[in-house]
Amino acid sequence: MSTATITPPTNATTPARARARAGFGAALGFELRKLRAQWRTRAVLLGALLLPIPVAFAIHAQGNPPKDSLFGRYATTNGFALALLVLGYAGQWVLPLLTAIVAGDIFASEDHHGTWKTILTRSVSRSAFFSAKTVASMAFAVLTLLILAASTIVTSVLVAGHSDVIGLSGQLIPAAHAWRLVGASWLSTIPPTLAFTGLAVLLSVWSRNAAVGIAAPVVIGFILQLVGSMGSAEALRPYLPTTAYEAWHGFLAAPSFAGPFVTGVIASVAWTALTLGLAWTLLRRRDITGG
Amino acid sequence: MNDALAVDATGIVKSFGAVRAVDGISVRVAPGEVYGVLGPNGAGKTTFLRMLFGLIRPDEGTLRVFGRSWDADGTDVLEGVAGFIEAPRFYPYLTGRQNLVALARLDGAHVGRDGRSGLIEQVLETVDLTDRADRRVDGYSYGMRQRLGVAASLLRKPRLLVLDEPANGLDPAGIRDMRLLVKRLADSGLTVLLSSHNMEEVEEICDNVTIMNQGAVAFHGSIADLRAMAPDPGHLVDTGDNAAALAIAARHPVKTETDADGILHVAGPSDVVAAYVADVVAAGIALRQFTPTQTPLEALFFMLTHTEAVHR
Repeated sequence: MSTATITPPTNATTPARARARAGFGAALGFELRKLRAQWRTRAVLLGALLLPIPVAFAIHAQGNPPKDSLFGRYATTNGFALALLVLGYAGQWVLPLLTAIVAGDIFASEDHHGTWKTILTRSVSRSAFFSAKTVASMAFAVLTLLILAASTIVTSVLVAGHSDVIGLSGQLIPAAHAWRLVGASWLSTIPPTLAFTGLAVLLSVWSRNAAVGIAAPVVIGFILQLVGSMGSAEALRPYLPTTAYEAWHGFLAAPSFAGPFVTGVIASVAWTALTLGLAWTLLRRRDITGG
Repeated sequence: MNDALAVDATGIVKSFGAVRAVDGISVRVAPGEVYGVLGPNGAGKTTFLRMLFGLIRPDEGTLRVFGRSWDADGTDVLEGVAGFIEAPRFYPYLTGRQNLVALARLDGAHVGRDGRSGLIEQVLETVDLTDRADRRVDGYSYGMRQRLGVAASLLRKPRLLVLDEPANGLDPAGIRDMRLLVKRLADSGLTVLLSSHNMEEVEEICDNVTIMNQGAVAFHGSIADLRAMAPDPGHLVDTGDNAAALAIAARHPVKTETDADGILHVAGPSDVVAAYVADVVAAGIALRQFTPTQTPLEALFFMLTHTEAVHR
């Protein structure tokens, strides 16, 4: 700067500014633009697309199929079973982790970079930013899940074939019907994944630390699974977001049943509303004294 | 609304726990004015500016910006207001231009996908960052980030520009250029509210000033009023015979003190001190040192900010 010549701005040279009122739409565009620019976001999406390929090949190549796991017995010979086996594992920690990578960081990163004061001094309200960040996190979660699901199903079927599959009640499910059921099973994990998105958002706002926002939802997921497996907490089990990851089992029984799915959706909505409500309360009341 | 004060803060109080960071200050900035908020570190300047931007809410008092208040108007308060608090911060994984494009769109401006609209180019040119606009911000020097902060503020075409210690952390050349930039922005008709702990900077740029100390107002008035209150300039005088030099000082209307090293501290109007030194030399006493100490305004600033705060 020492040798620079600074041009004084005058009314003639000062840029004209559009008078459009900034709000949620502008904030959402802002958040999506930042997400697109981050290597981590692109890496997660690329991972969701490519990682199922080696996983499917690795499982298919096993001499002894994982018989103790749901659909494990047929996973080496049937692509639908293989996709459902992967879904069972994904619901345990992969999906909470994938959504937390963005949702657990999206608020805390403003603290890390010290940019709260940059964005909150530009006529955009905290509520608009909160909504935009939450929607961006949820959109990322759903997109990642859809890519992971599509990649897993397609790869599994290509690797292990698409013959009729044996259901959970021992019934034979025709391949044409299995496509729909496997797809629906993967889609049924959207509500609990969004519940974990809400949890990651809360932890991101509360801790102001991306590591906590990303790792803690996975740890909490494991704890909730443990709680759900305890006999003394049987009454709680249907209302845990981790249980909602298993709701698809009912789709593959004969006769099929959707009760756990409906309960899981309601529980996930309640978890999402609770965590986001707490997160908003924290952010709304917060004095921005640092970032 | 056009006749409203740019900033009208009355009786502002803000505490953090037991610490009263801002203690009943009142600040009024007229449109077109270049106003300084001066004080040592921890005086409450930045806390006041954070309240102005709505980043924190005052516990007591009223704060209006161009007639708008946070309680009644929400983020509309910031319409026509721009600036930065402490060091401006940006997204390090974006280039300078990408940061500006993102912020411009956040403001509702229409910017092309390549970010090369007139809007962006003009603010980059104003702060002389055009050549380095396509570098990632994590590679910027401190001074470049300060200038990017000014550019980001100008995107909003503000009527009130709030700058919190804009020259802080810059090298001497950077300080000179930043002051030049702020003066030129002020000359363009902007209302500028400048926070600083540097008396010289405020004296050079501002019309009026509030000096804060321990969260309260220690002085409020024009730079001219401040100059009138300022003590005489001080000088260090060291001679071959300080005892004789001290005796000569008794014949001049100057104040003298001798420090532990025997060096004389002489304060008085510049012409009187000059006459005194001429007499010392005329008496055949060797003059080893004749050094100005604080400027009068620096001396006043020190006096005001190292004593109990006084509400005026």
